[in-house]
Amino acid sequence: MEGKIIVVTSGKGGVGKTTATSSIGAALALEGKRVAIVDMDIGLRNLDVVMGLENRIVFNIVDVVQGRCKIDQAAIRDRRIENLFLIPASQSDNKDVLSPSGVERVAKELRKKFDYVIMDSPAGIERGFENSIAGANEAVVVCTPDVSAVRDADRVIGLLYARSLEPKLIVNRLEPTRVERGEMLSHEDVLDILSIELAGLVPMDEKVLISSNTGTPLVLQNDSTAGQAFRRIAKRLNGEDVPIEVPNQKTSVWSKLSKTFGLR
Amino acid sequence: MLQEFLKRFTGQKRSSDEAKKRLQFSLVYDKLEVNDTTLTDLQTDIVNVISKYFEIDKNALELKVKNDKDVSALVFNTPILHVKRKRA
Repeated sequence: MEGKIIVVTSGKGGVGKTTATSSIGAALALEGKRVAIVDMDIGLRNLDVVMGLENRIVFNIVDVVQGRCKIDQAAIRDRRIENLFLIPASQSDNKDVLSPSGVERVAKELRKKFDYVIMDSPAGIERGFENSIAGANEAVVVCTPDVSAVRDADRVIGLLYARSLEPKLIVNRLEPTRVERGEMLSHEDVLDILSIELAGLVPMDEKVLISSNTGTPLVLQNDSTAGQAFRRIAKRLNGEDVPIEVPNQKTSVWSKLSKTFGLR
Repeated sequence: MLQEFLKRFTGQKRSSDEAKKRLQFSLVYDKLEVNDTTLTDLQTDIVNVISKYFEIDKNALELKVKNDKDVSALVFNTPILHVKRKRA
């Protein structure tokens, strides 16, 4: 059976695409799937450092598309999680060395070798984005609860629909206490505006930075709320029926009182 | 939470509510943006149709998309020089 190609995208940069890609990929591998994560941010590669595989790069995705090496030569095997592979981006080229048709051709080959291929799209809606969605069967849009990320997400969702891809949404970096204080859009607000299916909600978590500092997989840390959220997202993407968990706020006396008085 | 109460009673707004409203508006307007070639094509078509019935001043006409608070409108403005006589 052929595997699925999932593109992770956002429009706006810095919303957690790379974290989402690496975590979902790792989590799917933990589910027993054979997974390749592909860094499509040519010229600005980062997945390798986030995943702690930067010292093992020999070939990259540009080499694969241009026929300089085989997929198996470019795919770096993760030694901590079985069946997890990274195909890194090239750091010396720019996005124009790849074309959607070239990527689509390689995507077809990748589907034969892996159960899931996760494409980490660069920010923006230009060539790099076009390349990333070229061979995709499914799409995940990552956004944070702020006006610029939501607006960009809406634009990207429109572009994905135009390619007959029905994206699912991840709302990242939710801070329950700030949502409660009315300082941050809630996930309901974001869903109201974007009106697409939810893949999951991820709370703000200090562990994300720490795990990227050391290049260790977030999803292996049981005390990481974000890591656990990504594991549930991966299960959902894998077809399991896992209920959406809203990052919980510690309910204080005051919030209970304000609810009773109908102030929210 | 006490702060939240005070804010409520002093009538201070939640900034997240404002964010949501502003987003909803801007997304509608973003989608109404029409590019120049579409407008030019539209103008040519409209002129051709109107010219069947009226003689119009093709240099003085204007076509605009007007976005107001609640509605968007396509405004086509043209001076009419003559009404064409219909031939039997």
